[in-house]
Amino acid sequence: MSGVLNEGDQAKGAYVFRLYLAGGAPNSVRAFANLYAICQKHFPESHRIEVIDVLKEPMRALAEAILVTPTAVKLSPLPEQQIIGDLSEEEEVLRALGLPQKE
Amino acid sequence: MTDKKQATVLEKISSGIEGFDDITFGGLPLGATTLLMGGPGSGKTVLALQTLVSATTHHGTPGIFVAFEENARRVVANGETFGWNMRALEKKQLYFIDARVRSDIIKSGAFDLTGLLAALEVKAGEMGAKLIVFDAIDVLLGLLDDLAAECRELYRLHEWLLRQNLTGILTMKVEEGEPAISQRYRCMPFMADCTVLLTQRVADRVAVRAMRVLKYRGSPHVLNEVPFVIGPAGVELGSSHGVHPEPQPFDEKVSTGIERLDDMLCGGIYRGTNTLVTGSSGGGKSSLAGAFIEAACLRDERALFISFDENSRDIVRDLAMMSIDLAPHLASGLLRMEAVRTEAASSEEHFMRIKRLIEEQLPRCVVIDPLSALARVGGGLAARAVAERLIYLCRNKGITVLFTSLIEGFDPHLETTTVHVSTISDSWIQISYALLDGERNRALSIIKSRGSKHSNQLRELIFSDSGITLADPYTAGGEVLMGTLRMEKENAVHNGKANGQ
Repeated sequence: MSGVLNEGDQAKGAYVFRLYLAGGAPNSVRAFANLYAICQKHFPESHRIEVIDVLKEPMRALAEAILVTPTAVKLSPLPEQQIIGDLSEEEEVLRALGLPQKE
Repeated sequence: MTDKKQATVLEKISSGIEGFDDITFGGLPLGATTLLMGGPGSGKTVLALQTLVSATTHHGTPGIFVAFEENARRVVANGETFGWNMRALEKKQLYFIDARVRSDIIKSGAFDLTGLLAALEVKAGEMGAKLIVFDAIDVLLGLLDDLAAECRELYRLHEWLLRQNLTGILTMKVEEGEPAISQRYRCMPFMADCTVLLTQRVADRVAVRAMRVLKYRGSPHVLNEVPFVIGPAGVELGSSHGVHPEPQPFDEKVSTGIERLDDMLCGGIYRGTNTLVTGSSGGGKSSLAGAFIEAACLRDERALFISFDENSRDIVRDLAMMSIDLAPHLASGLLRMEAVRTEAASSEEHFMRIKRLIEEQLPRCVVIDPLSALARVGGGLAARAVAERLIYLCRNKGITVLFTSLIEGFDPHLETTTVHVSTISDSWIQISYALLDGERNRALSIIKSRGSKHSNQLRELIFSDSGITLADPYTAGGEVLMGTLRMEKENAVHNGKANGQ
């Protein structure tokens, strides 16, 4: 699971996410589905999603200051950005990613 | 072990703050949730942290502090300033979590606290934590930005605390004047078994802190607002339940330091009681106080002299002119004198300071000169409450107290407008000026002396370089004669007698 950010990711402009989920909680399941869909739609060629289940790795949430679930962290391209929620509001997500929104 | 029994006997966890345990009849509910609400800077965090530190220090109870607003390192550093050994505690039994919400966070859709609680559950289990503080829970709830969601998450937190069998302390910021009734916190009551509101107000330009227990499920508690201070060792509360302590049995009398005054009081004042000396400015109240404190020192009793707005050195010098020599007792440590500046603090802070002085010096006799100075800060009602508590504090400790109170003008009834303590004082000595034939002489009378006979006479009070005394009562035609008038009368009578022979 570690080393999600491969060498050259940033140079290639790849979108790398780490998604903190709480097991199979409904909003967690939705968050994964929504993030996956956004990635497929906007950068199908160059994205990677790392999933961390805080119920299985609770101390990671503490160490990485994750307060709520689900939380998505965009690791690349920089700057790092946290997005909390089930990512159902696509426009907010796109704004967070600095992508042009729907015309 | 039956569940029924557990439900009826509410166990409590001491806050480590004497006064707080008093007003809550034992402290916070064990295994339940306490909510501390208040405006910014009202002392919520200090109170929560102090309880946590106390439980860890005194009972070895491990605990967790979750900081949503302040940097956790700063919370630790703040604790250090109160002399709490944070570093040592942190190594073993205290765990601080920096859970500040990032300002650049973006929200998209629904979320909840499951992640944080899952993590805390593991940590609490690992440490065997019994107590957990969520400091500034309002910041976390603010993220949700939706009342229904806030209530849902509070409910989740509540359920989690119960399941973990943890004692929870939540602090929450509220705007002054909109406490539990506010829409936002309407879902709080069901989850908090104990709710305390902390306030900070400014009265006469002095900040006054107070707290009030709004509710305490299954337990009696003091309903009134109780003033408190944040002193050098943290939150201090000087509550006295509002219950008058049992008066101690009067048996031993102590001297006032003025022989003839002792005679008027049939042997002096009872040990452990308090005596109020009222008089106008320059009437000699402080001199009486000086005589009393010297007498205590001469009996080899520890003593404390607290003066408001007058330098100790000046008092010692003035008293020395009347052959009251306090210097050797000061040097030996038998006597301690403290000069307090009235305006520097609220009456509550004065109370706490005097309480500390009493605890340090362990005096048998105390002078507070003048107690009416308290009325100048923090408002009359607060000053009266403080004066009362001081009196009860001394009475409980069996300390004999003499306190003075200033009367402006010459009307003795004006005493009622200052600190209003004459009703709770055991004895009341009034120094007045008697105006007779163009002369102003000091007159002393005993207005009351509880549990003892006393002279009702008005006596002339004489200050001289050989000390303080009272003149023999001298009445003519039903009037007390003083000064020149008395001398003339005495001479006339004397001459009359001489002529008659």
